[in-house]
Amino acid sequence: MSPPNSPPKTPAVPRISEILRTHQVIVCCGAGGVGKTTTAAALSLAAARAGRRVLVLTIDPSKRLAETLGVERNPPEPVALPADRARVAGIAAPGGLDAWMLDHKLVADASVRRLTKSPEEAEKVLDNRIYKHVSTMVAGMHEYTAMEALYRLVNEGRYDLVVLDTPPSRHALDFLEAPKRLSRLVDSRAIAAFLPSSDGFVARAASKVIHTVMSAVFGEEFAGEFTMFLSTFSALFQVLNVEVNTMRDFLSGPNVAFLLVTSPAPTTLTEAHYFQDKTRELSLPFRGFVLNRSRALNGRKAMPDSSLGGASPSPALQSAIAKLQAAAAVELELAGRDLALLRDLEVRAGDGATAIALPDLPTGADDMTTLMAVADVLDAS
Amino acid sequence: MDALENKRILLLTGKGGVGRSIVTAALAHIAQRRGRRVLVAELGDDPEDYSPLARYFGRDRLPVQPEELAPGIRGVVLLARTGQDLFLRQVLRSSTLARAALGSDAIRRLLSAGPSFREMGIFFQLLALLRLTHADGGHEHEVVIVDMPATGHALSLTGLPDLLLRLVPGGPIADALREGKGYLNDPEQSAAWVVTLPETLPVSECLELLGGLRRTEMPIGGVFLNRFPVDAYTPEERAALAPVLAEHDVLGAETFHRPGLAHRETTRLRASTDATIYVLPEVPHAHVVAALTDATENAWRLSPQAPHATRRDGAP
Repeated sequence: MSPPNSPPKTPAVPRISEILRTHQVIVCCGAGGVGKTTTAAALSLAAARAGRRVLVLTIDPSKRLAETLGVERNPPEPVALPADRARVAGIAAPGGLDAWMLDHKLVADASVRRLTKSPEEAEKVLDNRIYKHVSTMVAGMHEYTAMEALYRLVNEGRYDLVVLDTPPSRHALDFLEAPKRLSRLVDSRAIAAFLPSSDGFVARAASKVIHTVMSAVFGEEFAGEFTMFLSTFSALFQVLNVEVNTMRDFLSGPNVAFLLVTSPAPTTLTEAHYFQDKTRELSLPFRGFVLNRSRALNGRKAMPDSSLGGASPSPALQSAIAKLQAAAAVELELAGRDLALLRDLEVRAGDGATAIALPDLPTGADDMTTLMAVADVLDAS
Repeated sequence: MDALENKRILLLTGKGGVGRSIVTAALAHIAQRRGRRVLVAELGDDPEDYSPLARYFGRDRLPVQPEELAPGIRGVVLLARTGQDLFLRQVLRSSTLARAALGSDAIRRLLSAGPSFREMGIFFQLLALLRLTHADGGHEHEVVIVDMPATGHALSLTGLPDLLLRLVPGGPIADALREGKGYLNDPEQSAAWVVTLPETLPVSECLELLGGLRRTEMPIGGVFLNRFPVDAYTPEERAALAPVLAEHDVLGAETFHRPGLAHRETTRLRASTDATIYVLPEVPHAHVVAALTDATENAWRLSPQAPHATRRDGAP
């Protein structure tokens, strides 16, 4: 693994441009629909242009963004940004940008193969009817596979920086919470209760209640199958539990940065507050807020004045400019509101973290030109 | 076509920030005006969660059991746990056993992270609310309008019966799933609506979502194209100002360009789906629910039977 350029400094408000040059992992968290994926892509692009070998691990990119990054066919391995685009983007060796669209089933299958003792045992697990559905059904499984892929790719040492776009969810916190829920489920004592041969009277009584409940709810046949599934998996789950803890430790390290991507909404500050508290509680290195789709920077633009029409404007141009001025006043007010929100986020971020704004782009930011523009803003932040 | 007069379940879905909750609130008001007993619901993870939908009824959050939010409109937050408890009580019959089951730490853990149990709980609570009978013999909730948060949740709910029935073909869960599927996949009784904006990414996401809903056999009610910008300029003014704005990046230019983008994206949406599109105008912040309720009602009236009844140019 190549050494990080310099050990990331703590205190003093970090800059995004610094984070993307020094850290090994950037985790982009955020609720669905705030532009997390494009932010992750733009961050990666900026880091690659700065000469780093970067991988962006995306979960659910729009079709156009997947095309831009060259991952529309969902390849099993990370793929390099097509050469023509890398050239346009100004990425040159040693810098490079790979992208990978995370396939949860693929990652889960690979983990099963790695964690089981023999190929036969692996096949037994992979063939299980419940397992075949489980990777899409278990809450926290997507978050787990994302973390697992991240951990593996970072440790392989092929990349200086891996940027993770977290799975879509209602809450930005889901990514942080999910592994805990998963490890609670796979805790060996919890599983033991579902298995037939537990020791001791209390365990037997509890297991009897569970068996009665399971049969009543699922019917005898499925309940039996479920018990089979759990006993096949119990050994695997124990290893998994250890892994979840290892990964949590890894994510608490100083080379990792958690960013919250958000957009202007009445709940933005509340969300930011929760996120910051939660990362602190879990000892995860929170490094900043990215206020996306914001008009905060628009206030820097000029107000249109009447001279725009030149010396002798036509009546149509005159009335058009009057309307433009009215719209400009409204836009200025909106810009002021978003700027105030950004200032609040800066205060909230405190010393160890930053708060930056990215522009609202109604045509989306999933083509190369726009992504580059967003990367410029990030690199200047 | 009048979903608000005869359907029992309306699912509203769409990415965050497109105005889904406010459209849900507007539809609730319209259905209530038409004399139906309305329940608005949203999916929650935690009863303490802030609710954007509740805000439009002057509350911070929705109650865990249906309560009146406005005359003729009740509201509830659908929680996995409420539905799971209901289900266990119903299936186990013995309340002692149900209590023991609900008190079991292992079962609690399984329910909080196990295969699809979260969706199952929500699904079951929704079903229970649909079954309730009113004193007059009709349905307690004649129409249930559900504000679905992230798009993934909408698809995991509508796709739940097929997914689980493959795994658990018999027993009480399968019975409940079949009953729910009977409601959800019946175009006479239910419809899913996508709320989106006339912008590039939201339109692309809307098209992907429509495809996903079709794959789960969910009847599509249509698309609400929300916040369609009002064009303040005459064609002459546009022609005169466009070259000036090409030279100068000033405030106000964004507002100038938005209607053009909105029309382009609307055209693309129409070309890519045969779902009915309802255009809702951008309304100012004050009295937003009342204004949007009227606007939605208008969009509705303008499109009696025809799939493309909004004006050709896409203007509201």
